[in-house]
Amino acid sequence: MSLVVDRLTKRFGAVLALDGLSFEVPRGQVFGFLGANGAGKTTTMRIALGVLRPDEGSISWDGVRSDDLPRTTWGYLPEERGLYPRMTILDQLVYFAGLYGVPRDVAAREVRDWLARFRVPEFADRRAEELSKGNQQKVQFLAAILHDPDVLLMDEPFTGLDPVNVALLREAFLELRDRGKTIVFSTHQMETAEAMCESVAIVDRGRVVVGGPLRDVKRSTGRRSVVLGIDGDHRFEWLAAVPGARVVRPGMDRSLLELDADVEPGAILAAALGRGLTVTHFEIADASLEQVFIDHVGRPADEDMRLAPALASSAATTDSSAA
Amino acid sequence: MSRRDPVLPNAAIVARQEYGSRVRSRLFHLSTVLLATLAVLVAFVPFFVRVVEGRAVTTIGVVSRDDALAGRSIGILESVLNNAAGGSDKSFVVLREPDEPTAIAMVEAGSLDGLLVANRLPSGQLAFAFHAGEGLGEDRLQQVAVGMFGVAVLDYSANNPLSGFQLPSIDLLRASSPGGGSQPISGAEYAGRRIVGIVFVVLIFITLVIYGMWVAAGVVAEKASRVMELMISAASPRQLVIGKVAGIGAAGVTQMLGILIPAIIAIVIEDPLANAVLGPGPSVALSLAGLSPALVVAFLTWFILGFVLYGLIYAAAGSLVSRAEDLQMLALPLSLIAIVGYLQAVLALTGGTAGFIRFASYMPFWSPFVMLTRLAVGRVEPWEVALSLGLLLAAIGLTFVVAVRVYSAGVLLYGQRPGIRAIARAALRPE
Repeated sequence: MSLVVDRLTKRFGAVLALDGLSFEVPRGQVFGFLGANGAGKTTTMRIALGVLRPDEGSISWDGVRSDDLPRTTWGYLPEERGLYPRMTILDQLVYFAGLYGVPRDVAAREVRDWLARFRVPEFADRRAEELSKGNQQKVQFLAAILHDPDVLLMDEPFTGLDPVNVALLREAFLELRDRGKTIVFSTHQMETAEAMCESVAIVDRGRVVVGGPLRDVKRSTGRRSVVLGIDGDHRFEWLAAVPGARVVRPGMDRSLLELDADVEPGAILAAALGRGLTVTHFEIADASLEQVFIDHVGRPADEDMRLAPALASSAATTDSSAA
Repeated sequence: MSRRDPVLPNAAIVARQEYGSRVRSRLFHLSTVLLATLAVLVAFVPFFVRVVEGRAVTTIGVVSRDDALAGRSIGILESVLNNAAGGSDKSFVVLREPDEPTAIAMVEAGSLDGLLVANRLPSGQLAFAFHAGEGLGEDRLQQVAVGMFGVAVLDYSANNPLSGFQLPSIDLLRASSPGGGSQPISGAEYAGRRIVGIVFVVLIFITLVIYGMWVAAGVVAEKASRVMELMISAASPRQLVIGKVAGIGAAGVTQMLGILIPAIIAIVIEDPLANAVLGPGPSVALSLAGLSPALVVAFLTWFILGFVLYGLIYAAAGSLVSRAEDLQMLALPLSLIAIVGYLQAVLALTGGTAGFIRFASYMPFWSPFVMLTRLAVGRVEPWEVALSLGLLLAAIGLTFVVAVRVYSAGVLLYGQRPGIRAIARAALRPE
């Protein structure tokens, strides 16, 4: 029993949103659907839900095409968050559950139960407009699961959440997975995907560029990583002398280093010891998912969320070098 | 979208939600109370007029070439009308007018409330013609007729006691009739029917435009708050559109009843109240004589079908914008269609071009206004009713298909202003 996305193609005017996208998610897995904004993640989910029609290809669950599946198969947390601002949380969740055929009393009981587990039982009688964005997001998560769907489609579920709420939501995800639910979530936060997913697909311009079990994907570039701690040094300036090695996630205590495929991890250790440094931690690991993403796609997944280079200073540099 | 979800139960769940959220809102309560108060005040206007004016004098002119006949007519009419009105003051003054055409013009202009033309035919028979001004009630006309009969009896006993009594000929004429000139009127029909026609047309216009905007605003609010994303995954566009139009339509009917019922009660109790407070007097209440059960059924039929047709268009239009501010731009072009229908209905009430009004009464977007008016004030053949209803139903079917397609595409658009081509493409796209 699995979710199969098969050669999905979708065009919006001149834009090719999906270009033969294919992947498969076994039942009961947490699957990371990774890509930058505009990669085709939301379009794929909307096709599964029946909101959009594919130009070609299909999505099926347990061998049944999405067109023939009941709506209750899917639980959807949209990227565009929204609730009825003036309606109480209990009323709107009961309303949404009702559209999926859940009786009012059952839905109300489930809502109160879940709110208690999220440690916010008092939200039931509050209006949505009285809640913070993060708490509204938790409410929307409940709207997606109250009808006990087989497959959860979560579009950027962790975006905008504080660490406490991220932990709560992760816990809920894992509980649902343990109940046999299949969870597909899209994200451009590679660390979250790395922490939760059994398998992933990296998508770019509507195509899967690499996919499969997390470990296989992380090893797909041949790169390796080293987690290194040096007593009294967190700048690692000496690393410039080791070609093909760089710090990708600096830390005061330990830092993550990425190595090109032809660089042996032992060379890093030898270089540190050779300079008389005291090594407090040395661990050989696979490449980070973020690095794998950059290697396959050519840019970071959240590139559009990062600062652009400062044009004025770069222009000044160019001028001075020209002089 | 190829998944075919059954319309029920989700459309009913959406309708119940839409209905409940509207009728529970403070704005709904406030506007209903305000409009109901206004309607009751309007219904009581004749009562207030009577209170303010007290015993206003109604002037009736008499024209006759025969001095004796004129004198008798004045005496009898003053006595009959003032006795019927009760009280000691004179409410009705009857005066002799020298010239018939001038006096008729005075009735038309409103400076005379009525004019009796009394003549003796060569055969000796008396011929009366009574020109009634618009302000003269039906009950007064009956008293005038009785008075004219009395004049004939008095005239017979004074002039011609040896030959047989001849009944006078009596014509009752209304100053401003639908045809423009004075024509014999039939009972209380016309005035009452016209009032009912006006009320119905105004009600339908308000319903379609205001409650139609509620539908569009509801769709826009769901898009603006982004809750639409949850809705379209939980229910099909077909279920959402039907539920929204039905729920908001029902809320509109509730408000309409909340306004109409107090107004009708006010009309019914107005005369007894006026008589109790101000003493016996002529009827002041608006006539409900034109409000036949068949007309009420016709009103409900065209109201429901008209609202469905307009509601579908408003739902589709609402899906094309993302912010409440943008909705204002759609409001005028959308209401223009209804305004054209409304104007034609007003024309029909005042006797406009018959051919075009007949055509408009078959056209789906206008028939809820125009056919209803025709049914209220004129004669309509059964085949015309069938044609008008058939075309309206066909238009609803076609509009429904197009509206659901536009809605399906529109609700996914955020921040983009869809062009005509995009809308047309969505409308033609198979579901």
